[in-house]
Amino acid sequence: MQRREFCGVVAGGLSLGTALELKALAPAPARPDLVVVHGGDPKNLVRAALEPLGGIRRFIAKGDVVVIKPNIGWDRIPEQAATTNPQVVAALVALCLEAGARKVKVFDRTCNDPRRCYAQSGIEAAAKAAGAEVSHIEERKFREVPIPGGVAIKSWPLYAEALEADKLINVPIAKHHSLSKVTLGMKNWMGIMGGNRGQVHQRIDDALVDLATVVKPTLVLLDAIRILTGHGPQGGSLSDVKKVDLLAAGTDPVAVDAWGATLFGRQGSDLGYVAKGAQRGLGVMDLGRIRVQKLEA
Amino acid sequence: MLWARRISQGLFLAVFLLLFIQTEQKGADELGWPVKVFLEFDPLHLISSLLAGHAVAKGMLLGLALLLLTALLGRVFCGWICPLGTLHNLVGALRKAPDPQRGPAWFRMKYLILVILLGGALGGMNLAGILDPLSLLIRSMSLGIYPAFNAAVNGLMDLAAGTQARVLVAPSEAVYGLLKKSVLAFQQPHFLQGTLLSLLFLGLLLINLKERRFWCRYLCPLGALLGIAGRWAFLKREVAEGCTGCGICDRECQGLGITKGRDWKASECFYCWNCDDPCPKSQVSFGFSARPAPGDLDLGRRRVLLAGAAGLAGAAASKAAPHALAERVDPLLIRPPGSRPEADFLARCVKCGECMKVCTTNGLQPLDLRAGLEGLWTPVLVPRIGYCEYRCTLCGQVCPTGAIERLPVERKVAVKIGLAQVDRSRCLPWAFNTPCIVCEEVCPIPEKAVYYDLVQGKDRNGNPVELKQPRVDTEKCTGCAICETKCPVVDRPAIFVTSITESRSRKNQLILGSGYGG
Repeated sequence: MQRREFCGVVAGGLSLGTALELKALAPAPARPDLVVVHGGDPKNLVRAALEPLGGIRRFIAKGDVVVIKPNIGWDRIPEQAATTNPQVVAALVALCLEAGARKVKVFDRTCNDPRRCYAQSGIEAAAKAAGAEVSHIEERKFREVPIPGGVAIKSWPLYAEALEADKLINVPIAKHHSLSKVTLGMKNWMGIMGGNRGQVHQRIDDALVDLATVVKPTLVLLDAIRILTGHGPQGGSLSDVKKVDLLAAGTDPVAVDAWGATLFGRQGSDLGYVAKGAQRGLGVMDLGRIRVQKLEA
Repeated sequence: MLWARRISQGLFLAVFLLLFIQTEQKGADELGWPVKVFLEFDPLHLISSLLAGHAVAKGMLLGLALLLLTALLGRVFCGWICPLGTLHNLVGALRKAPDPQRGPAWFRMKYLILVILLGGALGGMNLAGILDPLSLLIRSMSLGIYPAFNAAVNGLMDLAAGTQARVLVAPSEAVYGLLKKSVLAFQQPHFLQGTLLSLLFLGLLLINLKERRFWCRYLCPLGALLGIAGRWAFLKREVAEGCTGCGICDRECQGLGITKGRDWKASECFYCWNCDDPCPKSQVSFGFSARPAPGDLDLGRRRVLLAGAAGLAGAAASKAAPHALAERVDPLLIRPPGSRPEADFLARCVKCGECMKVCTTNGLQPLDLRAGLEGLWTPVLVPRIGYCEYRCTLCGQVCPTGAIERLPVERKVAVKIGLAQVDRSRCLPWAFNTPCIVCEEVCPIPEKAVYYDLVQGKDRNGNPVELKQPRVDTEKCTGCAICETKCPVVDRPAIFVTSITESRSRKNQLILGSGYGG
């Protein structure tokens, strides 16, 4: 090695070291734990919600395979608010691809006929147009997954593609639910469960928390643009739909759901799975203990 | 002309198969493909529906076009168009030996079958669908062959994937992806009686190895009808003076049109043009002429009368059976939404299986003899297999005869096909102090036909348990049976549907002043 080269390397190393040090020394911008955005355009809502959290690039790295899991469970149209807003899903797909994701997959195990759910919800068309790979669930792609420490379920067949993804984003819609009272993010993971899901209802709160111990999203975006206030989770009547134009984003599944409960005049502690989730250390339920940032978009 | 005929056969078979594959839910409200068009052109269904039900769907009038075509050109449908005929042709090509000699009476069989069927229809019993070639083909393919094909491909692909050998998995997955996009069903279809229907169909095809186009020559009632329509056709076979009667053309004949080279019967000729080329002296040609066609049908008046009487008697006998009571009521007879009242439904249904093929959930299944011979292979909902998707109207869209009316979504969601009932001795919250309420969650009626009472129960040790016990609103429930299909009590569901309260029946009602007429 020539002397000049040596000097160059040393100098480079030094300056890099100084830069890193300086960055660490600067006061960290107080990043919120939960962002709640209000506004009219779903696309803007998604971008605005992620901005304070560090933007999509904080979550998605170049070359990632990303799974986005909306609620496509029912044969309903977007106005009926039983399924995630298709524009929210599409905006999210576009952002992930922008951030360099290699592939963005979108799927859900539906309750009604999958073809009708995918089409009528508008999610298939919107996500495809944004560049996602939208696929139907295939029975053979479920794998029995052990749930160590599971209280209600010790193991369950889960969708391999969701578990094998580099990044997993949960995009539920906020709805009334006859059994769990309100269905939000943690309940949305039932969409990657195989087998006889009806049985899960017998101990829904424990089962959802069990599931949350093995399915850990990179990010949760709760669609509350239209919320379903009654006859959930399927609805059907527009008189049960309330347009509140909100979107929440965060990384703590318990906190997001705790905030979601407030949309329905409840608290996180009113929802069994939120309370139990907090108890079992999956996140923070007390919204007073986290930084919540509210924005207009 | 021989090649023109083969190309025509190939094209019609291809169109038929394309429409067959498209007879599937794709997510939109409208199917968007004219999948029933072959059946609509079928004049046998037109006539038997008219005789039995005194009414017919508008589209079926296309059957007149085929009658007209046949009156002008003879049985070109059999030789150039019929997809079942083409399949017989293909299998028959495997037989190299000349066909066996049969007595001259055999050809009459199909005419007598036709007369029996029409006699039955006149008596109100429409059995044409059992033997009509298009119904038979679509039904056998939909309920038997296609499910078996899917099972075979799926099994093979699973096997390949199961080896986890790199050389096998990647290519097989690629092929699988292509097949799924093109010819495979969205989900593996399952049909009751599927194996039986497959075997019957394969049997009919295999007879071609004994004698080519056996079905078309001796059994097909549509062929017989067209034979009658085409007996004075203008398109005729001409044999010039130089014919030596060598009989080479006899052996090439697909139908029974020729005897000893010279004698020709329009009603038995498929216009396949096989006899044209092989004539060593080129004496055979086809052309138009108004001269009366040779050859009488020669069925025998007494035979025809007897056959007609047999059909009528059969119809009368079936009316005497207990299932034919004026307004029959059967809890398991859950008909597709939009089905006409049972008698009218049976008079029209041609048992083609289109509604079962297209059914979103696979819930529509072919009936056994529960509703009599005329009910054989007609559609019923079997909730253990699949439910009626709330906003789906496909069965009405594909029904060629209007046995299932085509309803717009707003009307369909209000039609009752039955009523859900809770079995309290099995229901988890009712019988086992366990939360559940899946039935209420999946109930598609916006105001919920399945609702619940909030009840304070006690477990065995006297500890309080809060339970949501499901109940059914008889006014709101349409009997779609999604609750039964999805009930987590999987062996014998704790909520189940029977046909009572079905909109189409005046008698099959439960609560005074509600139900009928929806």
